[in-house]
Amino acid sequence: MKILSQTPPPSGEGSTSDRLRDCALLILGHGSTENPDSSQPSWDHAETIAKSGRFGSVHCAFWKEEPSFRQIWPMIEEREIYVVPNFISEGYFTRQVLPRELELTGHTTSRDGRTVHYCDPVGVHPAMTGLLIKRAKEILDSSVRPEDTSLIIVGHGTDLNTHSTEAITAQVEAIRASGEPFARVLDAYMEEPPYIADWRTLTDSPHVVVVPFFISDALHSYQDIPVLLGIETEPTAAASQREVFRRNPYRFGERTLFYSSAIGTDPSLAEVIVDQVRYFDEHYRS
Amino acid sequence: MTLAGELESLLPAGTSLVFGQLRLCRRDDGSFEACHLDDAEKRESLEPIPSAPALRELAKFDAAGEYRPLKTAPTLRGGWITRCDEAAEFLRRLDAIYPGVFATWIAYAAGRHHPTSLRRTLDRQTGMYRRAGTITDGMARRLIRELCHIGCLRTITWPIHDDDPVARATASPGTLPMICTEACTLAVNAARTLAKEARAAGD
Repeated sequence: MKILSQTPPPSGEGSTSDRLRDCALLILGHGSTENPDSSQPSWDHAETIAKSGRFGSVHCAFWKEEPSFRQIWPMIEEREIYVVPNFISEGYFTRQVLPRELELTGHTTSRDGRTVHYCDPVGVHPAMTGLLIKRAKEILDSSVRPEDTSLIIVGHGTDLNTHSTEAITAQVEAIRASGEPFARVLDAYMEEPPYIADWRTLTDSPHVVVVPFFISDALHSYQDIPVLLGIETEPTAAASQREVFRRNPYRFGERTLFYSSAIGTDPSLAEVIVDQVRYFDEHYRS
Repeated sequence: MTLAGELESLLPAGTSLVFGQLRLCRRDDGSFEACHLDDAEKRESLEPIPSAPALRELAKFDAAGEYRPLKTAPTLRGGWITRCDEAAEFLRRLDAIYPGVFATWIAYAAGRHHPTSLRRTLDRQTGMYRRAGTITDGMARRLIRELCHIGCLRTITWPIHDDDPVARATASPGTLPMICTEACTLAVNAARTLAKEARAAGD
């Protein structure tokens, strides 16, 4: 399944590729001081991109892990750097925290002989819709028809930020518009209504598939939401510390629930990160 | 000079350096080795770790299997060795264990990277950390004493206030310095906790 926009490469693609090989790519993640799996998707995508040889070097930096946003500049030797936030939405982190910590002043910042391009976060890329659909379908048993299944895209949500649900409601609208035959497609949240804990009353189909719109299988996606869904009685050990990732499906009377891994762990996210660089060059680069 | 070039020049063939809990060695043939300091005398019996991702995974947990959010905590486990021929790859592997620590030292020593005072770090915080900057200087000193000095191998190079005098870090013979040029997320979080406790005590 092709997940990225297949627009033909612009003329001069060859020279663009050559130019990127002289640039660094910096992937920004949240990280965690409590969960060992939070930063892993960023590292995995960085490794995939580094092996492709498309950039001079590929780095990661984190809010809650090392290297931190404040430590990263001495590690990068290229003079031109593309920064891609591996974050799910535009909001507090991408608009306030990341620019402040990296001392960025706009789409492009020139300082100390360096040019730094600040790209859009991965979560707003159009390919995310296709990835969510792919994730939902691949964990359903072959005997389960999408027509008998409700798809819930679950996010964090917070009453502290009115924009916190925008990224997810946009994805839900896009999936509905795609014509995929799910019985229903709806959004739900950990900390604001509609609550994911109410999935049994939010849906009435025999089967429900829940896809977490999170970057990693860390604290929220792997440990908190399963408790809210009722498939765990209390937060388990971190995903990497358990032998079995998930035992789908989970049965609740006559109904079955499928719970997928976080969307950000999909290997295709490496392509999405690179595509955000291309999008930057096409739309923001002066 | 590139960072890899700096590493080659600081570690000529036939020499070794202490870097945190690591012993770095350059063999006579120019290749590189790193292992835990405690394992330096039993290098032939150690488990070879052949890549940066594998070393990153190793550095993620201590010997008891506990997650290590701070990579410069004095809890790096031993029993392994990593070897390679190229300085750039060796630096990638060191960065997997101690992310950015070598580059920070090189930039600091060259005068290209300057410490940020604790006040400046705390005062720019927002969101859940917005009150971290309300800690007193006494609380800041307690944080340094009880968190930084006990839990981290780095030498602090930042002052509490911008205009406080602070000694410039230097490299001791046979060592590669491990310096801290700005309070980390764990310190900011500890400041937040101290500020919350102070407010609760004052209520």
